[in-house]
Amino acid sequence: MGDSAYSFSLTTFSRTGKLLQIEYALNAVANGRTALGIAAVDGVVIATDKKFASALVEGEDVSKVEAITDSSGFVYAGVGPDYRVLVRKARKSAQAYFREYRETKPVAQLVKSTASVMQEYTQSGGVRPFGVSLLVAGIDGDGVPRLFQVDPSGAYFGWKATAIGKNYVNAKNFLEKRFQDDMELEDAIHTALLTLREGFEGEMNGHNIEVGVVSKSDGKFRLLTPEQIQDYLDEAN
Amino acid sequence: MSRDSNYDHHISIFSPQGRLYQMEYAFKAASSASGLTGIALRGKDTCVVVTQRKVPDRLVVPSSVSHVFNITSKIGCLATGMIADCHSAIQRARYEAADFEFKYGYSIPPAVLAKRMADIAQVNTQSASMRPLAVVMMIVGVDEEKGPQVLKVDPAGHFLPFKGTASGAKEQEATNVLEKRVESIPE
Repeated sequence: MGDSAYSFSLTTFSRTGKLLQIEYALNAVANGRTALGIAAVDGVVIATDKKFASALVEGEDVSKVEAITDSSGFVYAGVGPDYRVLVRKARKSAQAYFREYRETKPVAQLVKSTASVMQEYTQSGGVRPFGVSLLVAGIDGDGVPRLFQVDPSGAYFGWKATAIGKNYVNAKNFLEKRFQDDMELEDAIHTALLTLREGFEGEMNGHNIEVGVVSKSDGKFRLLTPEQIQDYLDEAN
Repeated sequence: MSRDSNYDHHISIFSPQGRLYQMEYAFKAASSASGLTGIALRGKDTCVVVTQRKVPDRLVVPSSVSHVFNITSKIGCLATGMIADCHSAIQRARYEAADFEFKYGYSIPPAVLAKRMADIAQVNTQSASMRPLAVVMMIVGVDEEKGPQVLKVDPAGHFLPFKGTASGAKEQEATNVLEKRVESIPE
């Protein structure tokens, strides 16, 4: 990253004290497909839609929800190729952590180091900020479910429930109405699907949504299969 | 510099709407530079790529004009776009494939190569010092587990597996034809 011929930062302050490149990056995120997450008392769910521009795409193995460690995962809204860079760096950093401490990297640490990378790209020479916001879901050894959002600026926030991308304002209002502090994972998954449906064009089924879940019972982050998603959708109807 | 948002057309920084103009321009260059259309398609046990061989002059040796390349003996590629950028991308792909085989002891699967090329393309969209390459690569090969695959990599660093796809000047028309026939392509 520091090997570019540009030894000056492209993200600089405007006369009014704003970092415009970061604001524009947030616009790129707001143009991206909606993603949302809910932290229940016994687990976390993250979900997004899976729509391709053409029926010719073989979408079965393509995934926006990605596991980073055994017990945490990411989803994003914004520029896909930038997301892959962050996923790769996060996985490497989690592996380096494990090599040093022989423990799974805790979610909050993962968030901090990823956020730090994103901040570097707002200040280093010759690069632009990442055009993605991330939702990070995971459960640490202490059994506490955690959901974080990380923005292009490198700022991060812990959330009970949130949405990013297109239509995020409506989605967040919907979540605010339905969220309860004592919500359980099963309810959270149903609520997540209902929230996704709000902005969804067409019929939702197990093949055009992605859901990632980490449950306190086994502490493992996994993607739901299309069949499992279809079951939840049928129950929600 | 970000104050002067006219630079967003020159290097890989965001426009006020959150767009990356350099990347969009690279797409345009890849589509229209050569005037060619390329098509890649897979079947039950085979992949096919097709494009025109436009020889610019009667005196040019026809066999030296090509947009279809071998990356390894098992993976091929149809690269549409500016031919010099295509050559550069193909050379890099050949290196990455050879390096993979050297390190891991087995041939690189087509999807892994496509992802690697896409990640390399992404760097040019985030770093101001190099422009994106005006190339769309359609990588074809037979994966040991998944069978025949077609993967398209674009200047933005996106890549997706396709049953069939097109790129270049008449991309939309060709894609329409393919979409009508998508049912006839086996799973």
